[in-house]
Amino acid sequence: MVMAQENQTPQQVEPSFEVEYMSRWKLIVRAFKKHKTGRIALVILVIFYALSIFADFFSPVNPYVQNTDRTYAPPSEVLWRVDGKFVGPYIYDVASYRDPVTYQRYYEPASVIQEITGEDTDGNAFSFSLDDPKIQNIFTRFESEIIAVGTEGERTLTKSSKEMKLVPISKKEILRQGGIDTVYNSPEDLEVYLNNPIYSYKMNRIGQLTEIHVDEGIRALNIEFTDGSKKTVEVGSIDDFSFKIFKIKLFNRGWEYKLFGLIPTNLHLFGVDSPAQYYLFGADAYGRDVWTRILFGSRISLSVGFAGILITFTLGLLLGGVAGYYGGWTDETLMRITEILMSIPGLYLLISLRAILPQDLPSHITYLMIIVILSFIGWPGMSRVIRGMVLSIKQTEYVEAARAMGYPTRRIIWRHIIPNTSTYVIVSATLAIPGYILGEAGLSFLGFGIREPQSSWGLMLTQAQKLSVLEQYPWLLLPGVFLFFAILAFNLFGDAVRDAFDPKGLGN
Amino acid sequence: MFKYIVRRLILSIPVLLGVSFLSFIIIQAAPGDFLDQFRMNPTFSQESIRLLEEKFGLNDNFFVQYGKWLFQMVQGNWGHSFQYHQPVFSIIWTRVGATLLLSITTLILSWSIGISVGIFAALRQYRPGDQIASVVAFLGLSIPNFFFALLFLYFAAKTGWFPIGGIMSINSAEFGFWQTIGDYLWHVVGPAITLGFSGLAGVMRQMRGQFLDQMSMDYVEFARAKGMPRRTVVFGHALRNAINPLITMFGYALSSLLGGAVLTETVFSWPGMGRLTIEALNAQDLYLVMATLLLSSLMLIIGNLIADIFLAGVDPRVRKRFQ
Repeated sequence: MVMAQENQTPQQVEPSFEVEYMSRWKLIVRAFKKHKTGRIALVILVIFYALSIFADFFSPVNPYVQNTDRTYAPPSEVLWRVDGKFVGPYIYDVASYRDPVTYQRYYEPASVIQEITGEDTDGNAFSFSLDDPKIQNIFTRFESEIIAVGTEGERTLTKSSKEMKLVPISKKEILRQGGIDTVYNSPEDLEVYLNNPIYSYKMNRIGQLTEIHVDEGIRALNIEFTDGSKKTVEVGSIDDFSFKIFKIKLFNRGWEYKLFGLIPTNLHLFGVDSPAQYYLFGADAYGRDVWTRILFGSRISLSVGFAGILITFTLGLLLGGVAGYYGGWTDETLMRITEILMSIPGLYLLISLRAILPQDLPSHITYLMIIVILSFIGWPGMSRVIRGMVLSIKQTEYVEAARAMGYPTRRIIWRHIIPNTSTYVIVSATLAIPGYILGEAGLSFLGFGIREPQSSWGLMLTQAQKLSVLEQYPWLLLPGVFLFFAILAFNLFGDAVRDAFDPKGLGN
Repeated sequence: MFKYIVRRLILSIPVLLGVSFLSFIIIQAAPGDFLDQFRMNPTFSQESIRLLEEKFGLNDNFFVQYGKWLFQMVQGNWGHSFQYHQPVFSIIWTRVGATLLLSITTLILSWSIGISVGIFAALRQYRPGDQIASVVAFLGLSIPNFFFALLFLYFAAKTGWFPIGGIMSINSAEFGFWQTIGDYLWHVVGPAITLGFSGLAGVMRQMRGQFLDQMSMDYVEFARAKGMPRRTVVFGHALRNAINPLITMFGYALSSLLGGAVLTETVFSWPGMGRLTIEALNAQDLYLVMATLLLSSLMLIIGNLIADIFLAGVDPRVRKRFQ
């Protein structure tokens, strides 16, 4: 505005004033601000980059620590009330079980017993609580018996006794009543038991099967004290009990990290106390939080584009400028090389180039190599366009004038010709970023790019490639959703930038 | 015209030579070769490895190897694949079929829908139909191919409406002629939609933009002013001028599809050229890689040439330039 104020004289204050005297950049910014989708895209991008820069802060769990007992754990279910009373957001821990029929692993919310009171088999009252500093752990002995009742008698099919630290929340009712006897007598339920070869063998002497009784209950408590001693209480009846809940805390103190790689801290936006893990989006094959991995992956996926265009455009401007300005054999050679490079399909060239490099490079070198390779694919197209522009700019009068004044060639190229290509360069750079993001994701997806334990969106999607896994754990597709939104935002942003730079639109 | 085609083909020879030389450098620069797995294997004697090296010509110097390969290639001998123990030509031949089928289906799908929706959107600029089309186009341009493929697979697995990969059912040998075609079409839906969606979006946007540009030209205004029926103005004049840049685009689409779509083929386990190339690169199957790279580059050149010929067919101005 400084320039505009200097020129402000009374007779120039007209509606056309700001159109004529705003600097070009101000006009561009103004045109961009009018672009609604462009603004939304910019906001999305800013959010994405903030998430990526402060990835550690937004991550409730460490992205590199594997939890093999929680592979493919589902997203944690957030609850608000305990027995109808509002306590704020909390989760339970999870425990995995194997389905006895299909052998598939499934997870159920489970937790340790926080407090329990009742009477033992001799009629003596007991009361234990984890708040008691002397008590280390409360284990429960869970017994279940499956009894088949038929027309000619009954028989126990199986009897099991398990000692559990984590009790599934679904057993709450059983615990409350001190034991429960579930009766199945619908034909479909009975069918399941009849189809089991071991059970059906045992049922051969009871005649026609009419009912299945599943008798479950807590029979004993094993208390482990902090001094190492143990005590077993045979449970007669339970008066009251509660599960331990893990409250979701804001600004939680969790795993250690270094902010910006410098400041050691353990502050996180949200999280829960260990041993529970808060999985916002579920866990992957190694029990790592998908949300956290997405955040850390975004560091690679979102930076590859900028680093890539930086190299591509430097190369493209340099080589294109030189080819266009000097012409002759320099031009001829460079253009033939670009032709050859452009005749090989991009992804093949990418992968062949990746194959030259050793597979076991350190992760940051791999990352740099991927950027270099991506730029190597990008520069031919870029430098051809720049060459064409330089050829036409070379003919203009101001370049002729600069040459006539005896300026050195380097100065003419850098000060007169290159700045005139800036509009094209900026616009096409924004529109080129999605290509780099996709290139990296594709490479990593095929196993030629970023490798475990590092994270990248393409790499994460590799786990979703196995159909049996994908079908059961659809949250493995989420990195793709992020990839999609990042590319969409860049496309919309690029479109808005192009419109903003369009000289036709600047005046209005 | 014929002269022009011949000239273009001759001009492409140095490019292909360059491509082959560059590919050869890249592959040879990669550490190790296909025989490494045998060298590690104690059951292979030094003698048999030496014989294998000799058989595949691996112990010559780089330029001799390239020269030999080039000499054989020109004579129609594309070499032997290390991993398949078959002539490269016959391996590629089986894969080209699958790739051609996929790319032709995809092209028909994406271009017929893309062009018609593009015209439709342009004729209804800023109305709801146009806006929906624009949104879909943006989605199509932004969704990564392999992510879309995974989504489709998930959908197919959940509903069971579509097969989850491959090109034919297991029992396809028992099928009759029509049943085989039906089975193929059923299998091609997933990869074709995946590949076609982004292409469709591009075509649609381009068509709409070009068409709107033409519709605001003076000659269209004039034709309208003199009372020419709308149909003739739109389809006889504006459309014919709007279609030119799309034909150039068609060339690129054709050539990139013929080269194989690595990611889509991988996700759908489609036995096409793309997957073959990746597998060959992984196994450092030298001659197979060379052949596939060269072939896909050739496809790129031919695709552009076909586009130019089409352009000449549509536009009399271009035709005149050739004469």
